[in-house]
Amino acid sequence: MRFADEKLRDKLAAGYVLGTMSARARRRFEIHLRSNPQLRRAVAQWETRLSPLADALPAIEPPARVWQAIKTRLQIGRPAGARFWESLSFWRVSSFASAVLALALIFLVVAPKPETPVDAGRMVVVMNDLATKKPAMTASWEPAQRGSRTLRIRVIGHAEMAPNTAWELWMLPGGDQKPVSLGLITTHETQVVKIPEALAAKLDSARGLAMSVEPAGGSPTGVPTGPVLCAGESIRT
Amino acid sequence: MSIGKKAKIAVNLPEAPAAEQLSDLLARCALRDQRAFATLYQVSSAKLFAVAVRITRRRDWAEEVLQEAFVNIWNHAAGYNSTKSAPMTWMTAIVRNRALDWLRRPREVEIDEEHEELMASIPDESPGPEELLRRSLEAGELAECMKTLTEEQQRGITLAFFYGLSHGELAEQMRKPLGTVKTWIRRGLDRLKSCLDELSR
Repeated sequence: MRFADEKLRDKLAAGYVLGTMSARARRRFEIHLRSNPQLRRAVAQWETRLSPLADALPAIEPPARVWQAIKTRLQIGRPAGARFWESLSFWRVSSFASAVLALALIFLVVAPKPETPVDAGRMVVVMNDLATKKPAMTASWEPAQRGSRTLRIRVIGHAEMAPNTAWELWMLPGGDQKPVSLGLITTHETQVVKIPEALAAKLDSARGLAMSVEPAGGSPTGVPTGPVLCAGESIRT
Repeated sequence: MSIGKKAKIAVNLPEAPAAEQLSDLLARCALRDQRAFATLYQVSSAKLFAVAVRITRRRDWAEEVLQEAFVNIWNHAAGYNSTKSAPMTWMTAIVRNRALDWLRRPREVEIDEEHEELMASIPDESPGPEELLRRSLEAGELAECMKTLTEEQQRGITLAFFYGLSHGELAEQMRKPLGTVKTWIRRGLDRLKSCLDELSR
């Protein structure tokens, strides 16, 4: 089926969102949806148009077993409010990684070494592609007592950046804290990012790094808004 | 899984979570922050469960749908783009799609009969589509535009939206020929779209 006709796209998107399509039509439509950004846009527009209807439904508290089942499915056992180190011990125990778990495990490719002296070694982050689980980028720097840090980035393979987008690097402080932007990077194989002193100490103790695709110029909101391409946990070598 | 008899309508729920908070939580889920995911579930699951219950009309099915949906939300959080849609709209769409898939899954004939029965016994204590339409239309642009539709168009669109009825099921429910119902829906949606586009201009 061709979707060059905007009217046709819109008609199908409306039927899909409203829910009047048959099962077969839905399946076929979803296949087109994956490869057609215009169709996705039409669907998102209809979802936004009709969303006030859903707001009218009175909330219904789901039974606790639903959350239990979700945690089991995703192999995430950490109760809300637990500390980061508690989650680490959880991860070590539940190392029978399923395919789903493998995705969630990106931060724990290497278990932390608790006995390392504070001022030894470099910091290294291997950021794995969230889709392929393969290393996509590495970052390393020398931790220090004061001053700025020089982050050395290496992009693995021949990555491509879509037009009018930017790659934004994020520091993940860990715990309950929001990601902190470290600025935009390029697709060059090797590059250097200067981290100002104000962020340097936080960087040394950060849980990890991640990179997301943002509109040209970077995230408009201060937190990642686009797909996260890769992420990884900080390792002290 | 057994039917969730204990699930009850929450009377004193806090205000709907702010879009900004949900966007932050989704961004952190994309970065595999489990605590953010737990918080996201806490603040949004009751609203989303209501959507699943409404469409599937069975608590046990709705529980399955909600579970599927949150697995999807965790796995696809990185694909959420806050500049394209509001976080609750995005998550509601995931729940609705899982619920519709559930309703439209291939079934035995006997389950279809069960479905018929359920259709006839849409719970009385919960607000009907007309009531829901009225509530959702107390304010906002969709309200203004819905008012410009004919009664049949409004009824067809709300029945489809809240109960996940296909064209065929709508025709049965409204006791009108399939072609007529399709036309109502199509014209109604067209009218809504041009009205909303005009208002937002």
